[in-house]
Amino acid sequence: MFSSQLKSRRILFVDDEQALLDMAVSILKDSGFENIKTAATVREAVEIAKSFSPELAVLDVMLPDGNGFTLYEKLRTFTDIPVLFLTALGEDADRIRGLEIGADDYMVKPFLGKELVLRIGNILKRYYGKEDPLVQLAGCVIDFARAEVIKGEERLSLTAKEYNILQALCRNEGRIVTIDQLCEAAWGENPYGYENSLMAHICRIREKIEHNPSKPVSLTTVKGLGYKLTVRKD
Amino acid sequence: MKGMAKLIRHCVGILFVSTILILVLNVCLFVAIFMKQTANIEPWTTAQETALALRQENNGYVLSREMELELASEHAWAIYIDNETLKVKWHTKELPQMVPMSYTASEIAQLTRGYIDGYPTYTGVTEDGLMVLGYPKDRFWKHMSPSWDYDFIKNVPAILLIVLGVNIAAIGLIYLVTNTKFLKSVTPLARAIEELPSGQLEELKEQGLLVGLAVKINQTAQILQVQQQKLRKKEMARANWISGISHDIRTPLSLVMGYAGQLEENLLLSEEDRMKANMICHQSIIIKNLINDLNLASKLEYHMQPFEEKEINLCTVVRQSAADFVNSDFAGIYRIKLETTKDAEVCRVRGDQRLLARAVRNLLDNSRSHNPKGCCIWITIQTEREACLLSVEDDGVGISKENLHKLRNTFHYMMDDTGIEEPRHGLGLLIVQQIATAHNGAVFLDHGKNGGFQVLMKIPLLNKEADGRTTDL
Repeated sequence: MFSSQLKSRRILFVDDEQALLDMAVSILKDSGFENIKTAATVREAVEIAKSFSPELAVLDVMLPDGNGFTLYEKLRTFTDIPVLFLTALGEDADRIRGLEIGADDYMVKPFLGKELVLRIGNILKRYYGKEDPLVQLAGCVIDFARAEVIKGEERLSLTAKEYNILQALCRNEGRIVTIDQLCEAAWGENPYGYENSLMAHICRIREKIEHNPSKPVSLTTVKGLGYKLTVRKD
Repeated sequence: MKGMAKLIRHCVGILFVSTILILVLNVCLFVAIFMKQTANIEPWTTAQETALALRQENNGYVLSREMELELASEHAWAIYIDNETLKVKWHTKELPQMVPMSYTASEIAQLTRGYIDGYPTYTGVTEDGLMVLGYPKDRFWKHMSPSWDYDFIKNVPAILLIVLGVNIAAIGLIYLVTNTKFLKSVTPLARAIEELPSGQLEELKEQGLLVGLAVKINQTAQILQVQQQKLRKKEMARANWISGISHDIRTPLSLVMGYAGQLEENLLLSEEDRMKANMICHQSIIIKNLINDLNLASKLEYHMQPFEEKEINLCTVVRQSAADFVNSDFAGIYRIKLETTKDAEVCRVRGDQRLLARAVRNLLDNSRSHNPKGCCIWITIQTEREACLLSVEDDGVGISKENLHKLRNTFHYMMDDTGIEEPRHGLGLLIVQQIATAHNGAVFLDHGKNGGFQVLMKIPLLNKEADGRTTDL
């Protein structure tokens, strides 16, 4: 699922529970992540971060000599690596605080090993993987770098609104994106009352990306909820 | 203070009615006494009858036997004065010694109006003379000058009205004077009693007529405050305890889930062992969800859950939750049909978006957990008067009448009567109810029209005209 290049990235895992550290390392190693170091305190974590130069840090919030949020601030003084909080603090206020200060993800214990691996992998992919600007659909290719749809020999330009809508759909490929989310992507905050305009834009996008716009295959409607983009995976 | 005003109105009403009753009673008594007083013309009548009962015979004057007996029974005496001589021509046997035997015109005038030697006298006339009846001294009091001015008689109705008015005013004044002080003492007490349930009572001044009562109210308020504080402390301790337990259990549960997940993936293990690991993992997720639910339910119960209130389009929240649900339905066995009316699409409610999303998610999860083989879920949103109605209904296994009845009474109760593996006790619906209550709304449970289960959530609409406030349902 993740390239060996991504799996070779250095990971710092900070938690005051040795048993949990052992388990996390075991799970990550089973999944192919090899470069992992652990720390149980803020002080130890800062020291290891300086010597080990991790490329991703997984931080617990409640630590014996401080908390994960202050550790995050300390790490930020010398590195801008992605950070995932993994903590027992599951309150909304804690999650929001973690994400607000700039963490890339926030996971609440207890967690499934698979979920941890996937989240770490996705963060690494976002940071260190190269995003392909070309998205393959059933009847065409979308080139986000040029804001174009390549349909055989034909190149069709995307308008700004179409581009934003398609990007929102691509980010959630295979998942339903609600009408409200798409309106927000195209028109920003307070997107109420744009439902009809959205439908018009969807029609135009279908004309560009579908072979038969009246029978869409890539951009399908989920009645009452929203739209779904199906990407071709070769 | 509505009660106080009502009390004052009630007292004034009683006063008014009592005044009228007393007046009517007085009139009745007056009439009764007057009637009795008219009987007091009796001595005059008796005197006249005595005069007529006196007959002149050869030997002089003779009084009839009946009249004699009547006079004797009254202990009265009588004299008959001749018109010409002004001398007593006849008298009864018992006659006080001081009664003169001859009279002048002025003495006759005097005895007619008043007394002879203190004996009240009454007169009756015949053609030849004057009959004078004397009663014992303590029998009658005579009004010596009984004459009335005609102007006065003419003005009697007006005078009566004035007297009545003065009386009422006097009674009112007396009432006001005597009750003002009392009311002054009662008003703060009444206000204090009204404020007692709110628990925000300022200490009463212990003075005035009802000082004892003020002391007792202060004591009661203190007791209530202490009890409320204790209760709040207890509730907080309970919620914190649940929160603490749920926090402490997360790390060990992580280990259980993590290692079980690892074992599940381990191809060196037998299929059976991996299935066992899968079961541990699965049950751990149930424990995790239960802990989260328990934590949220206790916080909602004890009002410790932060409530970030803002204007929300309920359709947007529901649509997002439904999309998330479909996105997480990897097996594709749940079909969602969302229907909204035009009014509902634009309607706004005031509330916490995350909590409302959680309520919708719980309802959808409820359908999922009770119908593991899949079902169709209908979500409808419509408006009704001042409320937004959200209905989540499925065509799944549904619920028996008995269990529906139990569930309506205790939202966390759910009996597993179908033999399905999944435990049916949960806090999902309780949380939905708590979230609805926190939004001044309500939740109704019913059988679905398609044989499944239906939950109807009613959330008050945002009332723009009422300064952005919502109405309690």
